[in-house]
Amino acid sequence: MGLTLLPTTVVGSYSMPGWLERLKTDYFLRRISRHDLEEIHDTAVKAAIKDQEMAGIDIVTDGELRRDNMIDYFAGRLPGVQIDHASKKFYYDFFDSVVRGKLPTAPLGLVDDFKFLRRFTERPTKFSITGPHSLVRRIRNEYYPSEEAFALDIARVMNLELRELVKAGATYLQIDEPYYSGFPEDVRWGVKVLNVLTEGVDAKIGLHICYGNRYGKPTWEGSYRYLFPAILDARVQQLTLEFARRGEEDVALFREFKAPFELGLGVIDVKNPTVETPDMVAERIRKALEIVPAERLYVNPDCGCLHLPRDVAFAKLCAMVEGTRLVRKELET
Amino acid sequence: MIVHLNHLQRGQAAGAGGLVSVLFDLLEEGRADPRLLPHLRVHVDWIQYRQNFREAVTVRRAIDTRGDPLALAEVAVDLRQVRPETLREDLARALSAATAEGEEPGRHIRLEEFVPLRQSLIWRFNRLFWQHLAAWEEVSGRGFEQALPGSRSDANHPVAVADSVADFWTLLRDLDKRGQLPPEIFILEIGVGTGTRAALWLDRFRELDVERGTGFYPRLRFLLGDYSTPILDRASAAVRDHPEVSFIAMDALNPIKTLAFLRYKILHIHLTNVYDNLPHDEIVRRDGRFYLVEARAYLPDADRIAAALGFPPGELAQIAGKLLDIGPDYFGDRRRGVVWWREVWSGLRLEERLVALADLAEAPLPGGVDAVALEEMLRGAPDDIRFHLSSGAAESFVNTLPLLHPRGYLQVQDIFVTQMEEYRQGFRGPGKLDGSVVNWVNGPLLREVGTRAGYDVHFAPFRYREGSRTSILYTTQRD
Repeated sequence: MGLTLLPTTVVGSYSMPGWLERLKTDYFLRRISRHDLEEIHDTAVKAAIKDQEMAGIDIVTDGELRRDNMIDYFAGRLPGVQIDHASKKFYYDFFDSVVRGKLPTAPLGLVDDFKFLRRFTERPTKFSITGPHSLVRRIRNEYYPSEEAFALDIARVMNLELRELVKAGATYLQIDEPYYSGFPEDVRWGVKVLNVLTEGVDAKIGLHICYGNRYGKPTWEGSYRYLFPAILDARVQQLTLEFARRGEEDVALFREFKAPFELGLGVIDVKNPTVETPDMVAERIRKALEIVPAERLYVNPDCGCLHLPRDVAFAKLCAMVEGTRLVRKELET
Repeated sequence: MIVHLNHLQRGQAAGAGGLVSVLFDLLEEGRADPRLLPHLRVHVDWIQYRQNFREAVTVRRAIDTRGDPLALAEVAVDLRQVRPETLREDLARALSAATAEGEEPGRHIRLEEFVPLRQSLIWRFNRLFWQHLAAWEEVSGRGFEQALPGSRSDANHPVAVADSVADFWTLLRDLDKRGQLPPEIFILEIGVGTGTRAALWLDRFRELDVERGTGFYPRLRFLLGDYSTPILDRASAAVRDHPEVSFIAMDALNPIKTLAFLRYKILHIHLTNVYDNLPHDEIVRRDGRFYLVEARAYLPDADRIAAALGFPPGELAQIAGKLLDIGPDYFGDRRRGVVWWREVWSGLRLEERLVALADLAEAPLPGGVDAVALEEMLRGAPDDIRFHLSSGAAESFVNTLPLLHPRGYLQVQDIFVTQMEEYRQGFRGPGKLDGSVVNWVNGPLLREVGTRAGYDVHFAPFRYREGSRTSILYTTQRD
């Protein structure tokens, strides 16, 4: 990829403007057309890309602004998942989605999103999907004998989509599995599912696990210790974790378990509107460098900036970039 | 003319009937400008509370944002205050004043200019009360809780407290089983009253903890927050048997500002009768148009009050200002100051006017509330409605939620309007409770605000005391 040391990137959705929330809700209430919404999304995604570039982010995403939430965008695309009442009072609400038969194999249409991103930036890109474990924890299962079986079948279908994304030029993919933190007892089979999902996918794979970011607040609390040692079997290159809000104590788990992964270090608290200073960011990076070598360290926010006002989100990204630059300089000398 | 008979308390039917007949008499006698009639509304109300800021018959005019008069005019009648012998003249005066050319009747001393309700000086009086509570109680001869219905606070009901403890203990046990119980268990009470509830709660919690052998009590960090340090001092005596209690001077409007270090860490937050005591605005919808209520405090019987206090009427406004700035000590003799204060407070009334808004976004919306939330709240509400924009309550609510642990919950015991329809069944404050302002809280507004912050908001009637008007708001995490 030819990246600088300590590459900066983002996680999850970029700040969702109030006007876009209202228009998305209008769409779900059948007040505007699909065509209009798509145009609106295109415009919002371009603005999100531009904001990331202006903030100086090294690896940009599409800001995931087309997605109403991390589940329904995929539930609505997974063949065989049924949504009985496809209208919502508020765009961010979850559909009541259900699977009543075996998932057929069909594309999810994510490649178009990726191509759009590629068209509007020259920078390296990352593309994210919600992982099978999180999806089965939200989609009602009325067919498969277990959640694990359901997740494995989702992984089979999504694996094909990941391969298509790679064919379209994706080199860095991220799988979001925040529900691990809510269901730590699932991690062992969750990793098995993850490996089916990533089988034969020729790209860097990051696995993002946080403690939830629904409505800009954590859904669970605890320690990442629950991931270990099961996570060591995951065939991914990177773990992207939440540390800014929770403190960096758990970074030590990388040393304790000799984790071979890169670390996507969360240095921006997305659940707090207070903007970090570059010095705070730099200090968080320095602490992590005591455990993870710079060659294996990426810098990112804890999760998506979805619930932050745009000016706050932008300022936080700028602070992150600036704080990273400070450490890079120190490493060069 | 539209007559809104909003509520009829038992035994008041005769008064309401008399009112209508007097209205027709006055019209026949030509004592109301016929041009007024198409735009005139007469609201016949039962006003919460007995002590309030209105006279028996009041008038309010509508203006646009430049101050130019609009056609809409309203006459409001409080059936509880109406005296048959003066009703006819009161109504005649109001109808006359309802025209743009009319003038307010009576010998009034204005204490402020028209301002949105939230900025009215009644809230400064309210603050004065909590800051100088002991002096007030000394003169009144009773504690403030004795002014409450039943002369005691529902917050201190032992069964309600025991149930609250049991719920919380169950949550702790569940977290403990999952290995998710934090080492320190934070709990916060905002608006501490006499400290009685906190003491009862802690006693019961300790008892249960010992009984079950769970060892939670030593990990408990109980925070008592209030903006009045005298109140906190009083509460500290009540909980002296519990060493892990901390006292925090804080603004109920913005708890996260004081307790930012506890963001997402508090497992239970409780408030009783706090929201009803926070500043609010009011919005009126008539014929599809929105108006903001502006108020102007005045003393209606200034000559009498001035004579009673031994000041020229012309100095009353200035002295009231000094009282609010300095407190009752301004008079040199604190007791005399409190007597003066009580006299003014008792007489204080609010004149009102309606200022047209181009749309809801023009209303003074508190943080966390946007016009879309208000529109959502009003979907399905009666077309003609006057409701509380419970600004202080909403602000406090929004600024409290980020303190909650992901499994934590907020409980608010207060007087809530739980359906917008209830606003059509009587005027729900503000009223006076002893020296403080008390006001029903707009529950549907908090429901909308909560939804946007990721919480479902529920209301349950307070079932522990028969006849209680309080409800319990509680939050659950939104999926």
